[in-house]
Amino acid sequence: MNEAELETIYTALAECIARVGEAKASLLLATLALDLLSREPDAGYALELILQAERLTAA
Amino acid sequence: MLIAGGGPVGLTVAALLARHGVRCLLAEADASWCEGSRAICVSRRSQEILGWVGADRPLTAKGLAWTGGTSYFRDAEVLHFEMPSEPSERFAPMVNIQQYYVEEYAHAAALRSGIVDVRRPVRAIAIRPQPSVVEVDLRWQDGAIRTVRADWLVACDGGRSTVREQLGLELEGTQYEGRYVIVDIRQDTRRAVERLAWFDPPSNPGSTILMHRQPDNVWRIDYQVADHEDSVEAVKPENVLSRVQAHLEMIGETAPWAPLWISMYNAKCLTLPSYRSGRVLFAGDAAHLVPIFGVRGLNSGLDDAGNLAWKLALVQQRLAGDALLDSYSSERVLAARENIAFGAKSTEFMAPPHHGFALMRDAALRLAPAAPLVRSLINPRQSCPVEYTGSPLNQPECSAGFGGGARAGMPAPEAKIRACHGETHLTALFGASFVLLYFADDSVLPPCLQNVALALRPGVGGLRPIRVASRGSADADTVLDELGQAWKRYGAAQGTVYLIRPDGYVMGRWRDLAGAPADFGAALQRALRGGQS
Repeated sequence: MNEAELETIYTALAECIARVGEAKASLLLATLALDLLSREPDAGYALELILQAERLTAA
Repeated sequence: MLIAGGGPVGLTVAALLARHGVRCLLAEADASWCEGSRAICVSRRSQEILGWVGADRPLTAKGLAWTGGTSYFRDAEVLHFEMPSEPSERFAPMVNIQQYYVEEYAHAAALRSGIVDVRRPVRAIAIRPQPSVVEVDLRWQDGAIRTVRADWLVACDGGRSTVREQLGLELEGTQYEGRYVIVDIRQDTRRAVERLAWFDPPSNPGSTILMHRQPDNVWRIDYQVADHEDSVEAVKPENVLSRVQAHLEMIGETAPWAPLWISMYNAKCLTLPSYRSGRVLFAGDAAHLVPIFGVRGLNSGLDDAGNLAWKLALVQQRLAGDALLDSYSSERVLAARENIAFGAKSTEFMAPPHHGFALMRDAALRLAPAAPLVRSLINPRQSCPVEYTGSPLNQPECSAGFGGGARAGMPAPEAKIRACHGETHLTALFGASFVLLYFADDSVLPPCLQNVALALRPGVGGLRPIRVASRGSADADTVLDELGQAWKRYGAAQGTVYLIRPDGYVMGRWRDLAGAPADFGAALQRALRGGQS
């Protein structure tokens, strides 16, 4: 994915979060994350990504 | 020729028109230069345009050049970016300078011509378009009202344009709610010149802060105010100065300081659907308002000036049909729409318009140190010249192709070269007339190009052939591409020809003379009389 495509994805997700509303944003993002992680062939790496996200969110 | 508005765009239009031999009267409603620093980032392209009237020299001497920037989330660096820059370049990618200096230098350039009459404070108060003339009532300082009959009126009278209102034209688009306070302060500093941004800094939790150095030991500080804050309260010194002090302390700028100017800003994405209304042409903020982020306001206005001046001069001198002015509108409306699209993206990051963008920005900033791929989202997408895709002036390209270079409608690439008077740059040859760049190592111009030089008149309607040689020596008609930049950036082979417009844009290109027009002068005149050759 190039920079312009990443920007398009970023905007699409931001607009999607706004459409579902704050109450359902967590469910939306969990659904998306589970879908993406289930496509990751390396389960160890998938776990690393989860722990990294936890660290970054806690800061 | 009447120009309404003596800001940087109006004064530059006047100076450029005068350079092409067009006499103008400029009416500015204010008595002097703008108050406050206003637009402070002058792009490389804008420096080139100001260079056509000699206003680049004081600008680059006074301004502070910069090439990159650093962004922080809380107290950690999350992005460092560099704009394309090289030691051999003519101009830095960006120069910081207060807008009133740009106005002063453009004004001086206009006056040097001897054929620009700048009157202020003189306000255009009524506009009456007629079939072959525009009648404008001007109110002088003493209250006297005089009517001027102009062939053409160029409206550069800013975001609250009187001309636009008089003609009943309205800007179209959207505005964003997020507000920024803009503060200039004077403080000694030894910090490097770069664009600095802080998201959620400890000094002002929840806010976003931008800082730029300007000449005369001035800092520009922009910070976002919270949605619940009252606009009137937010710009009161007692509310501004404590925030500035907290941030200066945080970054270790401890020298004494004093505020100079406080203002407020919210992002607007607005444009007229057309920049031509009969004999009235719109440029700069009178034509479009773009978000501050990415510095596209003044820079797109100067690009308007660069695009309009040569076309208006040719029409005024009856060397082109007035349809040429429609290409000004179509090209610059296209540019405004692109600037608005980029500006909107920047605004969505710098002042998130809703919870979705706020959440995504928070995620991107947190992720940036660990995930280099997302850092580009934080990059401020600085202004760059827009391609005039689909312009009626673009000459059709033969399919037998160029691997690289710049196609018709793109800005002509820069290159450092040697001319007979010494080292210079290709862009320094643009701005005065059409230019034919003929890439060849033959020692003489072929007869068909020599004849062009003889056949056409001097001035902006002229066509100057220049041979770009990779070896040999420079002379009056030949520049030497010692570094190989020109041949590479134009994707040139022996015999390649580029036709460059007076505003430094590519109008057409041909792989070799065999596929090119037999008579460039005639082809050019056909294109300028309306329609393609």
